Amino acid sequence: MSDIPTIAAAAKLIAARKLSPVELARACLDRVYSLDSTLHSFLLVTEEKAMADARAAEAAIMAGRSTGPLCGIPIGLKDIVDTKGIRTTCHSKILTDNIPDTDATCAVKLAEAGTVLMGKTATHEFADGGPSFDLPWPPARNPWNTEHFTAGSSSGTGAGVAAGLILGGIGTDTGGSIRGPAALCGIAGIKPTYGLVSRAGVAPAAFTLDHIGPMAWTAEDCALMLQALAGHDPRDPASASRPIPDYTAQLGAGIKGMRIGVIHHFHEVDHKVSDGTQRGIDAAIATFRSLGAEITEVTLSPLADWHACGTLISLTERASAYDEWARTRLGDFSARVQQRLLLGALVSGVDYVQAVRRRRELRAELQAAMAGLDVVLTAAQPQEAPKIDSVPEWDVGQKPGFTMPFNVAGYPAMSICSGFGEGDLPVAIQLVGKPFQEPTLLRIADAFEKATPFRARRPALSAALVAA
Amino acid sequence: MPPELDEDALEYLIARAGLSPTAEQMAGLKAAYPHVAAMAANVRKPRGRMAEPVLTYGFAEEDLA
Repeated sequence: MSDIPTIAAAAKLIAARKLSPVELARACLDRVYSLDSTLHSFLLVTEEKAMADARAAEAAIMAGRSTGPLCGIPIGLKDIVDTKGIRTTCHSKILTDNIPDTDATCAVKLAEAGTVLMGKTATHEFADGGPSFDLPWPPARNPWNTEHFTAGSSSGTGAGVAAGLILGGIGTDTGGSIRGPAALCGIAGIKPTYGLVSRAGVAPAAFTLDHIGPMAWTAEDCALMLQALAGHDPRDPASASRPIPDYTAQLGAGIKGMRIGVIHHFHEVDHKVSDGTQRGIDAAIATFRSLGAEITEVTLSPLADWHACGTLISLTERASAYDEWARTRLGDFSARVQQRLLLGALVSGVDYVQAVRRRRELRAELQAAMAGLDVVLTAAQPQEAPKIDSVPEWDVGQKPGFTMPFNVAGYPAMSICSGFGEGDLPVAIQLVGKPFQEPTLLRIADAFEKATPFRARRPALSAALVAA
Repeated sequence: MPPELDEDALEYLIARAGLSPTAEQMAGLKAAYPHVAAMAANVRKPRGRMAEPVLTYGFAEEDLA
């Protein structure tokens, strides 16, 4: 293969019988074996299953029984997603030998769509903390520069997609764990509306903040994956019961007259971003304007308010979810997760409920601010990927992040690449839609990607391998 | 919640949670506590007693079946 295709491009070639799912899987596996000893994207490569899935997809295509655009597409599942009969560790010593006896709903849906499971991808332990060097497996590395951090917690999926080891994958997002690695790895990632994609069979991080979503090279690819993933699931008590629209129907329709609100104070005052990130945001606004969008300014409560609300809820719900192991096996968690679990003990019941009451106020504020708008825009990350050994350990006092507000609100949000900054590392913007308005969000993100050159460039290490 | 936590209060909270941190972790917790206290103060706003938390579930057709 002369190039790493997007899901959309591969799907067209596969449907036209110009690309064999078996050859595509083989090419991805070859890249895994060439690069992943450096990248550490995978905790487990399921080669035998991948080739069996690919042969099944190929047989379906040849028999005229395609399961749709994901038929024969190589994907990875974050290793907090249960997979029946396949080791699922949550990147933790505690679950080193865990073999689930059922699949998570998202794994079932992607399998039914005909995807090829390449393996289980690295995560921060139980989707928290990280990067940790005191776990049975090393943390994933950023393909744009392997001395740098991927962000997390969906670190392996981010690195694997960026390097072309997989064409898409599952991430989870409790405070930014899809959008963070998407931003630092230069790919696209969408955190859907809370309840749109089932959480059943996925290890919890914080029950009321957890979202499951796709990560891929483009917004269009995310739309194709979301189509397979969305839908009501009685196994998830928070699952929404709503009709599922066609997530690709609006792509390419243009964005003339669409209304984009920019939350300038988030990234210019509350937590000032790096020069490269700011340049990416400014250029993105100019691009949207040139495409005919109307740009306005939006003001919300300070980022610190959203951060306080989300962090208190997150610390407490996580401490509750892992209470038994925290009491009996604290030392078996990474140092970073131990710290988070201990912090949960410092949050009182009243603090938690006040945070949940505050959440309702903040959500109402966002709802009012977005009246008359299609999306809002801010940063996805404060800066380009830092060095992996420079990420602080006790991060409770860090400046507030840009992603947590939309976990607090439950609104759909995505990160897309908006250029390259310091060290030639990717920078990103974050777009936020209204609840269940993913088609609009994806349409705007897709229009941006198609109007800019950033999707034509891959990390040098994988580009060199493809060219060889 | 006070902005600082004395050793006895910290030990009480940790013991109540059933956790067994190291001395180094206890020192880290003590240092981190002002940040947690600041966040707790941030969400504690004057609001009427009728201001409910976000509902965690809504009744659906399945509940009526």
